[in-house]
Amino acid sequence: MSSFFWDHNKYGEAEATNITRLYHTAIRKLVREKLIAAGGNWNSFVFDKSYDLITEEDMRRVEAEVLATGYRFDVSAVISAKEEPEKYKPLAGQDQKEATAEIKDGRQLVGHGDNVVTYPSNVSGTALYIHTTEEVMELLMNGVPPETVAVIDDSGGTLTAPILEHFKAIVCMGGSVRSHLGILSREHGIPCLMNAKVAGIRNGDRIELNVTAPAKTAQDYQKGVEKTAEVWKLVG
Amino acid sequence: MTGNPVNYAQLLETNNLVQMFSDETYWLCVTRTTQESKLFPVPSYMMLSYLNAYYRYPSLLRKIESRMSMEELGDRARTIGGKTNTLTMGWTLPGFYLCGREWLINMGLLRPEDGVEDLIYVMDCWKRIQLSYHRNDGHITNKEYGHRSQLLPERELQVYEADLYDCKAGDALHTAANRFLATVSAFQFLSHCECRIGICNQGPYKFGDNLELIVRDFMDLGEGDYPWLDGVCAGMEYNNLTVPMVVKDTHFSLMDDWGSFESEPEFRAENIVRIGLYASDPLTEGRVPVAMESAQALVAKFNQLTEQVNEANGKLWKIIAAWSRAHMLEAGALVYFNIPKDLAHLAGVYEQSDWMEIDERAKRFIPLLNDEFGRDALTELVGLVSLPSQACNDYTMGQHHNAPKRMYSPIPYGILTNGDYTRSSGPLYPGSSLFTKTGKWRTSRGMLSQDEYNAAVRAFTPVACSSEYRFVDDYWVKYHSHDKAARELYLRTQENSRHLKGKGSGLKRADIARARGA
Repeated sequence: MSSFFWDHNKYGEAEATNITRLYHTAIRKLVREKLIAAGGNWNSFVFDKSYDLITEEDMRRVEAEVLATGYRFDVSAVISAKEEPEKYKPLAGQDQKEATAEIKDGRQLVGHGDNVVTYPSNVSGTALYIHTTEEVMELLMNGVPPETVAVIDDSGGTLTAPILEHFKAIVCMGGSVRSHLGILSREHGIPCLMNAKVAGIRNGDRIELNVTAPAKTAQDYQKGVEKTAEVWKLVG
Repeated sequence: MTGNPVNYAQLLETNNLVQMFSDETYWLCVTRTTQESKLFPVPSYMMLSYLNAYYRYPSLLRKIESRMSMEELGDRARTIGGKTNTLTMGWTLPGFYLCGREWLINMGLLRPEDGVEDLIYVMDCWKRIQLSYHRNDGHITNKEYGHRSQLLPERELQVYEADLYDCKAGDALHTAANRFLATVSAFQFLSHCECRIGICNQGPYKFGDNLELIVRDFMDLGEGDYPWLDGVCAGMEYNNLTVPMVVKDTHFSLMDDWGSFESEPEFRAENIVRIGLYASDPLTEGRVPVAMESAQALVAKFNQLTEQVNEANGKLWKIIAAWSRAHMLEAGALVYFNIPKDLAHLAGVYEQSDWMEIDERAKRFIPLLNDEFGRDALTELVGLVSLPSQACNDYTMGQHHNAPKRMYSPIPYGILTNGDYTRSSGPLYPGSSLFTKTGKWRTSRGMLSQDEYNAAVRAFTPVACSSEYRFVDDYWVKYHSHDKAARELYLRTQENSRHLKGKGSGLKRADIARARGA
């Protein structure tokens, strides 16, 4: 009888992330058991018997066992938590954080991000958080208010696709300048900071983006070069 | 294992190609974060697509090659702006297959020595089409060329140099073109479920002092392979559009194998100084001009297309916003998985069920694909390179990171001694889809059914790919520009050119400048 190849992984260490380790460990255990039950011949198992023996139902059980421990998944797509809220942690936003920097000359530092394109002057406008399809639908139907600086926790280009061109500027709390939203902001000529960390911005705040700062490049990311642009709240 | 054994040379070459992908994929991924979206469960659908790719690509590539070789497909693909390009062939075709293989290894469902003949075949297909597609720049990838792609022959570039219209920031053409580029880019991300494969760039090409050309292709704009575009894109006149544009004061320092560019200084639309518009598909003689008869006509066309795309964008967004997670997961996985589908179109063997269904072997794993697992498994696979299969001996210093890890497992040479390996994941298994294709396919010959489209392609050979002209390349022309074949091919390429029609194969840059009246 062939042994299970995974038992002899000389350099193999555990997966780095919890959920991947939990799932993969459970599936490898399942494969070992089914291989033995099928007679132990790997070559007749791998592309033949395993197709019937390793099933969708098995994968459901793997998930159920993890959920039974009380584990709840991080959510990224809004639809995931909407359809199965019992499986996911609540969405956490940065819009509830408080600013800690002092106010100087009518400005308070409330964040920083990676500048996509350097512009000759800074841009300012009115902050508006956009998290959900419902919020986008409302803006689609009623129009994007003038001066809107969209504060988005989605580095993708699809959530805001039908209203993107109406933003005055964008602060994106994820991704990099090479993410899809970064690419689209460049195409539209909309000032944009990606990978932003913000605290103390509320809907309706007047904010200013330092888009005169140097743009971050692929080489900067590769070499771990810190190159950020500030976001200020305009006070008074 | 029985039958013809694989040999050492095959393994050496295959492992070299696999390692090249290990290195470059890390570089491509390290400059980006895992692409997430509030709308689509992106990493989860990526993981599903990788499994579909692993189980289906070998069979589908063999089906395509039963009609047309990869070398010929590379020649045909080079002439048009379809989805057989740098992005889809240069990285994703083998990349997705290898990602699926590596994930299955880590789930204990595959050894590195399983499906060996499939792997050798997929990598060999990739090598042959890449060498053919890149024949004008002589490289196998953009990476090998220092992240640059110069795919086009002189005769096509001369037409662009002669015919592109001057524009400057603020004028009607510049404004119309840029609004179209931004609008169509946003639409492509939406219609492709948040992935970038609807847009591909190539170049740069030297267009004079301080001027560089890049060629931007936008693919699958009309009703076609994606069922969700049926009706939504009924107003779209073209399936593939190409926008060549000349940019001043900007050096495109990087054009990677995802078809993305970087420049020094960063690209600004205001630096676009010449622009044009072309359309193509597997039934056209290369990229054919669209509204290039006058600058006014081009402005009107860009504006018209922008309105069409905007309308489609709004309609599609509302449809997608109402999809279930299962629909989003499947649509995204299919868009990702089916990136080589235009090979089937070019060969005239396209079948919707081949390319727009989830194989039952891949479907088994859908219950695993919650947002967190999708994100973390993908991040480990291509970002952290931290899966157990990816660990190497302690002395290893991987390219770009110096760590003892490699993204994709090579085929162990030990199989040549013990013969213990398996050959193939098997034939095409049944698949299924939540989507039903109801419309026809937008082509340059009107709306065609699947069978009509395949039949038309099978009956068509572009002039540049005919036996008389296929091997008339730039280096042959260098010493044979007055030969009949060179002259005829240049004349055919110039047929739709405003300034070069009838000029032939002896032109140099100064002649082009005179022809365009500069």
